[in-house]
Amino acid sequence: MNNKSIFLKLLIMTFIFSVLSPLVVIAVWSISGRWSWPRILPESLSLRGVNELFGGYSGAMQVLGSSIVLSLIVALFAVIIGTMTARALVLYDFHGKQLIKFGTILPIIIPGTVFAMGVHVLLIKMGLADTAAGVIIVHLICALPYVIKIMTDITAAFGNRLEEQAGVLGATPRQIMTNVTLPSLMPGLISSASMAYIMSFSQYFLTLIIGGGNVKTFSVMMVPYLQSGDRTIAAAYSMVFVCSSLIVFVVFEKAVKKIGKDESGYFFA
Amino acid sequence: MRKLKLAPYILVLPVALLSLLFIAGIINGLIQSFGIIPSLGLTVPTLQYYIEIFRRPELLASIGITLYISIVSSLAAAVIGVLLCAILVTTGMAKGKIMQIVKVPILIPHTVVALFVIMIFSQSGLLARVLFELGLISSQESFPSLLYTSHGMGIIFAYIWKEVPFVAFFLVSVMANISTTLGEAAENLGASKWKTFINITLPLCMPAIKNAFLIVFAYSLGAYELPFLLGATAPKTLPIQAFIEYTHPDLLHRPYAMALNGILFFISFVIVLLYFKVLQQDVGKNGGLHE
Amino acid sequence: MKKIFQSTLILVLVLILLTAGCGKTATPSPATTGTNTNDFETILKEARGTSVSFYGWGGDDSRNKWLDTVVAPELKKKYDVTLKRVPMDIDQILSKLSGEKQAGTTNGSVDIIWINGENFYSAKENGYLYGPFTQKLPNYLKYIDANAAEMKYDFAYPIEGLEAPYSKAQMVMINDSAVTPETPKNTAELLEYAKKYKGKVTYPALPDFTGSAFVRNIICDIVGYEQFATMKADKETVKQAIMPAIEYLKELNKYLWNEGKTFPATSAQVNNMFADGELALNMSYEPYSVATSIAKGTYKSTARSFLFDKGMIGNTNYMAIAQNSPNKSGAMVVINEILSAEIQASQFSELKLLPVVDYNKLSDTEKKLFDSVTTGTGTIAQSTLLSKRIPEMPAKLVPIIEQIWQEEVVGK
Repeated sequence: MNNKSIFLKLLIMTFIFSVLSPLVVIAVWSISGRWSWPRILPESLSLRGVNELFGGYSGAMQVLGSSIVLSLIVALFAVIIGTMTARALVLYDFHGKQLIKFGTILPIIIPGTVFAMGVHVLLIKMGLADTAAGVIIVHLICALPYVIKIMTDITAAFGNRLEEQAGVLGATPRQIMTNVTLPSLMPGLISSASMAYIMSFSQYFLTLIIGGGNVKTFSVMMVPYLQSGDRTIAAAYSMVFVCSSLIVFVVFEKAVKKIGKDESGYFFA
Repeated sequence: MRKLKLAPYILVLPVALLSLLFIAGIINGLIQSFGIIPSLGLTVPTLQYYIEIFRRPELLASIGITLYISIVSSLAAAVIGVLLCAILVTTGMAKGKIMQIVKVPILIPHTVVALFVIMIFSQSGLLARVLFELGLISSQESFPSLLYTSHGMGIIFAYIWKEVPFVAFFLVSVMANISTTLGEAAENLGASKWKTFINITLPLCMPAIKNAFLIVFAYSLGAYELPFLLGATAPKTLPIQAFIEYTHPDLLHRPYAMALNGILFFISFVIVLLYFKVLQQDVGKNGGLHE
Repeated sequence: MKKIFQSTLILVLVLILLTAGCGKTATPSPATTGTNTNDFETILKEARGTSVSFYGWGGDDSRNKWLDTVVAPELKKKYDVTLKRVPMDIDQILSKLSGEKQAGTTNGSVDIIWINGENFYSAKENGYLYGPFTQKLPNYLKYIDANAAEMKYDFAYPIEGLEAPYSKAQMVMINDSAVTPETPKNTAELLEYAKKYKGKVTYPALPDFTGSAFVRNIICDIVGYEQFATMKADKETVKQAIMPAIEYLKELNKYLWNEGKTFPATSAQVNNMFADGELALNMSYEPYSVATSIAKGTYKSTARSFLFDKGMIGNTNYMAIAQNSPNKSGAMVVINEILSAEIQASQFSELKLLPVVDYNKLSDTEKKLFDSVTTGTGTIAQSTLLSKRIPEMPAKLVPIIEQIWQEEVVGK
C-alpha cells in the first residue's frame, strides 16, 4: 500500500513539475533582457515587458478588464444555453435530436478560418459585425460544444431520478431546481463555465475578423507579440493572461461557494 | 405527458439558432471553394481549385502527416489524461488546489506553448544547457534534434502538454460523480479500489472519455499554429497549407484555402461520422445511468 | 420546470437583443465632401473633432508606443483628431475589406491601412482603396520626391497616388564580430562562411517575408536584378532566369542548419536563434535593428550589420486609405502629418527607421533634425545604405519564386 501511494505521489509530482516548469521559464523570460547559450539564468534583466503592460501607455490593463467582462458574459450565456441543450438531449426524445447532437460538435471540427470567412459577411448584413454582440455570439458558438459535452455527460451521470422522487415527495418545480438539480450539476457547471471562459478569452482570429478591430480583447493585443518573437514582451503578456484567468476562476468559485452549498467539496478549495 | 412534448424544443431553441448561423457560415465558406467570391469578381462555380490541389504531389504526404500527428498526440493525451484523472479522483486530490494547476495548461494559448517548447527543447534550449553544464554534451549540435523534424516530436510533446490537463479536467466531474456514488457503493460491498475502478468507474466513464478523445482529435486536425511553429518545412499539414493560401497576398488564392479546408472538413466529417456510429451504440445501450 | 425554462429563454433572448443594440458605437459619419476638393483647409476643418483608425501589424512594441505616445498626442493637439491604433495583420485587414465589399458596406471602420508590396497590389486590383489622394497632401508635395522610383512604383507596380510613403526599409545581414570576424560581401563568400561555421547559418522558410527577401537578394547577387523588372510572370520563364541561384542555394544547403532539410518557420525564430547563439548569422529588413536590439539588450554590443557589395534589396512601406473609410478627411490629415519633417525625424530618431522625405527638399533647420540622429552601434550610415540599394522585383514574381524555392531547394 505504501509503495503504491509513494508511486502515485511521484506521478503527481512529475505532473505538477511538467506543468509548472514551463511557467517558471516564461516568468523568467518576462523580465529577461538577454538569455543566450549556454547560460542557465539570463545574462541581463529588463523591465520592458512590465512597462508595456503596466506602464499605462499601451492601454493593456483597460483592455484586460473589458476582455474579462466579455468572456464572463460568454461563459454565462454558454452555461445557460448549454445546460438547457444537454438536458434536452439526455432526458428527452424529440425530432431532430440526432441533428442537434451532430450540430453541436461541428464547431470543434471546422477550422476557425472557414467559419470566420463564411460568417463574416452574414454578420455584416445582420449589422452585428464590428460589435461586441457579434463577437459574443461567435465566441458562444465556439464555446458551446465543450459546455454541451460536459453538461451532457454530467446530466447523464446524474439522471433525473432524484428529481422525480423529490417531485413525488411533494417538492415544487422551483424547489427541485434549486435544491436538487442545480447542486448536483454544480461541478459540471463550474468546469463548463471555466472552459467557456477560456475559449472566449483565448480567441484571437474570430475576434479579429468579426470584431474588426473595434472590439479589442487582450488576446488581440497579445498575439502579435507572440508572433513577433519578442520573448520578453510575449512572456510578460502571457503571464498576465494566465494569472488574470486564474484569479477570475478563484474569485468565481469562491462566489459560487458563498451562494450555493455544496457537500461534495469538488472545486471548492 | 403531452405538455412536456414542447419542453425539449424550447430547450434546444437557442443552440439550434446558433447552429444554423454556424452552418450558414460554413456553407458560405465552402461556396468560396467552388470559386464563387463576388467581391473578387468570381461568379462561376468551378471545380478547378480542387482539381489543382489534387494534382499537387504533396497532398498525400500532407494528409498523412496531419493524421499521424493528430492520432498519436490525441491517443497519448487521452490515455495519460484518463490516468491522471483517475489518480486525482481516487486519491481524493481532485477536491484540492491541484485542480487549479490542472487548469493552467488549458489557459495557455498554443502559440505560447510553442514558444516554451522551443525555449526548453531546442538545441540551444534549457534542457540542452543543463546537460551542457553537467558535462553530458559538448556542444549544441550534440543535443538531439527534437524539433522541426518530420517525426513531429516537438509538436506531439506540445499537444500532450496541453491536452492531458484538458482531458483530465473534462472528465473529472463525471468521474468524481460516479466514483462517489456507484464507486463507493461497490467498495462498501467489498470490492477493492482497483477492481472498482476497472469494472465500474472506467466503463461508465467511457462515453465521456470517447467524447474527450474526439474533441482533442478533431481540434488537432484543424489547428495550424503548433505544426507551423514546431514542424518541418515539408511536408506541411493540411491546415498549414490552408492558412498559407488564406494569408496569400493575392486574394484570388482564397478559393484554394477554402478548397483545402473543404478537404480537411470532409476528412474530419467522415471520421466523426464513423465515430458517432460507434458512440451511438453505447448511448443506445444505456442512455443515462438511471436505466 | 417548463415555466422556469421558458422564462430563462425569454430572458436570454431579451439580453441578446439588448446587447445587440448596445454594442454598436454610434459614430456619426463625418461629411466627406472634403474628399472632393483639393483644398486642404476644408479637409482640416472636416477632420476636426473626429477619430481616425490606423490598421496595421501590431507586433512591434516600439512602433506601437511611438504611435500612441508621440504621433497621437501631436494630432490631437494640432488638429483635434483622435488616432485609434488597431493591431491587425494585413491579411486579416484585406479579409475584412473583402467581406465588407461583398456585403456592400459603404461605411466601414477602417480608415488608414499600413500596406505595401503584394498586398497593395491585391488591394488596388480589387478596388479596396480610396484615391488618388497624395496630391491633396501639402507635405507630400513639399517633401516627397514624386519622381523617385519608389514613390511611383511599389514592387514595380504603379502607385498612382493610392498610397503615401511611411518609412523605408532595407535588407542587411547581421552577425557578431566577437563570434565571427568575417562579413561575407557576396554569395561566394557567404558559401565559404557557411562552410566554416557549418550548421550555424540558415534563413527563414519562404514564404516568410524576410526569408523571401533574402532569397531574392541572393538571386539578384548572382544573376542581377534588371531583367526582372519586365519579366513575364510565368513559372518556366522565372525558373530559367533564377536557375543559377537555385543551384547555389542547393549547394548551400549542405552547410546550413539542419542541412537545409528544414528551415525555421519565421524570421522571429531565426532572430531568436541568433540572439541565443544557435546561429552565427541573421538577416533583417530593418537596417538599424542591430542598434535597437543592442539597446533592448537582446543582442550583445559586438553585433553589427553589413551589406553585400552589389547591394541589398530595399523597399518602402506605405499608408493607404480604405475605399469605404468613414473618415477620409481625417485619414488624410493623419497621413499628411506623418509626412511632416518633424514626425519623420522623430520616427528616425526613436525607431531608427529610414525616413521617406527627400533630404534635398528639407529646409536647413529641418535637415539638422535628421543630421543629429545617431543611428547607434553596429550600424551603417544612411548614405552608404542608400548607395547600395537594389529595387524590389515586381509583386507577381514573388509568389512564383517562393513556390520554386519550395519545390527545388527544401531538403534537396
